Amino acid sequence: MGSYLGSDFGGPARRTAVTTDQLVHTLLGGLAIGCIYSLIALGISMIIRATEILHFAQGEIMMIGAMAGITAFWLAAMPFVLVLLFGILGGGIASVLVELMIYRPLGRRRVPLLNIIIATLGVSIVLQNVARLVWGSEPLRYPTLFASKGLVLAGFVVSPQLVWIVILGVAIMGALMAFFHFTRLGIAMQAAAQDADAARMMGISVERATTLTFAVAGMMAGAAGVLLGSLFFASFNMGFTTGIKAFVAATLGGLGSVPGAMVGGLLFGLIETFSGALISTSYKDAVGMIVLILILLLAPMGLFTRPGRQV
Amino acid sequence: MTLSVMTAGVTTVWIPRLVVLAAIAAVPLVEHNSYWLHVFSLALIGAVLAMGLQLLVGMAGVLSLGQGAFYGIGAYTAASLAIAWQAPFILTILCGGVTAAIASLLLIPIVRLKGSSLAVATLGFGIIVHLVMLNEDWLTGGSIGMMDIPLPTLFGANVGGEAALYYVCLVVAAVVFLALDRIAHSRFGRALVAISQDEEAARASGIAVNVCKSKCFIVAAFTAGVAGGLYAYHSRYLNPNDFTFLKSIDILIMVVIGGLVSLPGAALGALIVVLAPEVLRSSGELRLILFGALVIVLMGTGNRGLAGLIIDLAASARTAWQRRASAKTEAKA
Repeated sequence: MGSYLGSDFGGPARRTAVTTDQLVHTLLGGLAIGCIYSLIALGISMIIRATEILHFAQGEIMMIGAMAGITAFWLAAMPFVLVLLFGILGGGIASVLVELMIYRPLGRRRVPLLNIIIATLGVSIVLQNVARLVWGSEPLRYPTLFASKGLVLAGFVVSPQLVWIVILGVAIMGALMAFFHFTRLGIAMQAAAQDADAARMMGISVERATTLTFAVAGMMAGAAGVLLGSLFFASFNMGFTTGIKAFVAATLGGLGSVPGAMVGGLLFGLIETFSGALISTSYKDAVGMIVLILILLLAPMGLFTRPGRQV
Repeated sequence: MTLSVMTAGVTTVWIPRLVVLAAIAAVPLVEHNSYWLHVFSLALIGAVLAMGLQLLVGMAGVLSLGQGAFYGIGAYTAASLAIAWQAPFILTILCGGVTAAIASLLLIPIVRLKGSSLAVATLGFGIIVHLVMLNEDWLTGGSIGMMDIPLPTLFGANVGGEAALYYVCLVVAAVVFLALDRIAHSRFGRALVAISQDEEAARASGIAVNVCKSKCFIVAAFTAGVAGGLYAYHSRYLNPNDFTFLKSIDILIMVVIGGLVSLPGAALGALIVVLAPEVLRSSGELRLILFGALVIVLMGTGNRGLAGLIIDLAASARTAWQRRASAKTEAKA
């Protein structure tokens, strides 16, 4: 905030003059990071809706996705879409393994929900440190997968990478919505999440639906991992902070609501990027949290309330 | 209730407590290594933190992910007072608690949120407080932190040695235990338990739910602030990164490992969370993996945690012993 004094010498106040070009770039950056948050938040929301578990390891599943993608690329140079596919696969497998090996046995022992939530924190610690053993503690540079030349879109020069992230993110979310609305499996998952007993009576295996929920949630997170990795780096600790932010995004939209997670993620990405550009880089995370608390005060269940059971 | 029953209740409660207290007090007599005393003091500070959170999570059933923030506020307050005015440490530690309690008033509006939303809101609060500690150089020294915190003195005598500080932490932990134990058995404590079991039923029974929850947040924050004050003298160097979201998680893990029902359980959990990384240090890179795995495995012990497990084991050992004893007498007969 101290730069107001100096701006007298530089002609018109520099801080206030945000060019349209900058605005478009910030908007695109916000949307891109927002898509990544949305993908992770979707998984968090799906898991909460199906099992009531606050899944704190979702960020680490995303990190495993990023690592799976970069490892596949090291083994054989391949186009970005294939790297993304490997990331999706890696995230999905990691998520299912964690569910089958840890949450399900804990659930069978009928431990309280809070214990399972803390166990997800344990999973997060284990995954981070296993990743550190396997992939080392240095950040890994993702290969340049896009043309680095600026892309001209409607008269503005924009980074093609950001555009691709937004396009791929939206495409994946669209595919998820289609899966939920048009396939038997997707509808069965929704049913099991809304009312487990009724679903059971309709012949749906709730246990299988839960595993499937973790699989889809992990795949979303894996995709987010590759997208985020391509934007910055891949590293063993990339997941935790991002996962927490995705949590906030999911809460913003309304925990357990699928459209809420999408909107919440985009909103949080935009808030973060714009407050970083306009207010202060050191407090950009705080702005997001203040918005979260204000929205929760006005609408305690978040922007989108979910039908069915109450949290 | 007859007098004999009451005295029996008092002895069964107080004799084990005094035995444990004596055992903890004897530690510096046996262990002279100052490094380990330092770690044990930290475990006692952890116990204070965990007991404070136990009130929120274990009794009122409110999941708070921001306890680390109050710990930090207490630590920075105590350190600033000690550095600026050489204030006596009992005063600075109390001020740490009071400041944390005042800061917790900010949380009162969000108390009416439910379950997961409340948890995420406290998480957001913790992140905001951490960013303030990190960025407000004039207040906290920013990312460099706060150095040269003076040694604590009590009535002119220096209590900065490892053993002396250990006893200071022990006294504070014991006082906090007694105070929280009183609260747990008061009308207020019973109201909290009622809220955790069924909020609507509690409200219908005339309990002011939001007022009780707010009070609970304030007491927990005060306790965390006191622990923070102790930590300032214990570490003598404060860094914002000591008070991140991860610290809040650490405190929560302590409470849950120990079991969500009892104060001694919370203290036991603190001992494990502080000591486990030290004990596992020899396993090098595997240390944190083992710690995470330990957390997962301990979560399988149910809501009574390790404390419950120990009580169960003791009970089954006692019945086995009695059975053997009665079998012997029968054999003799």
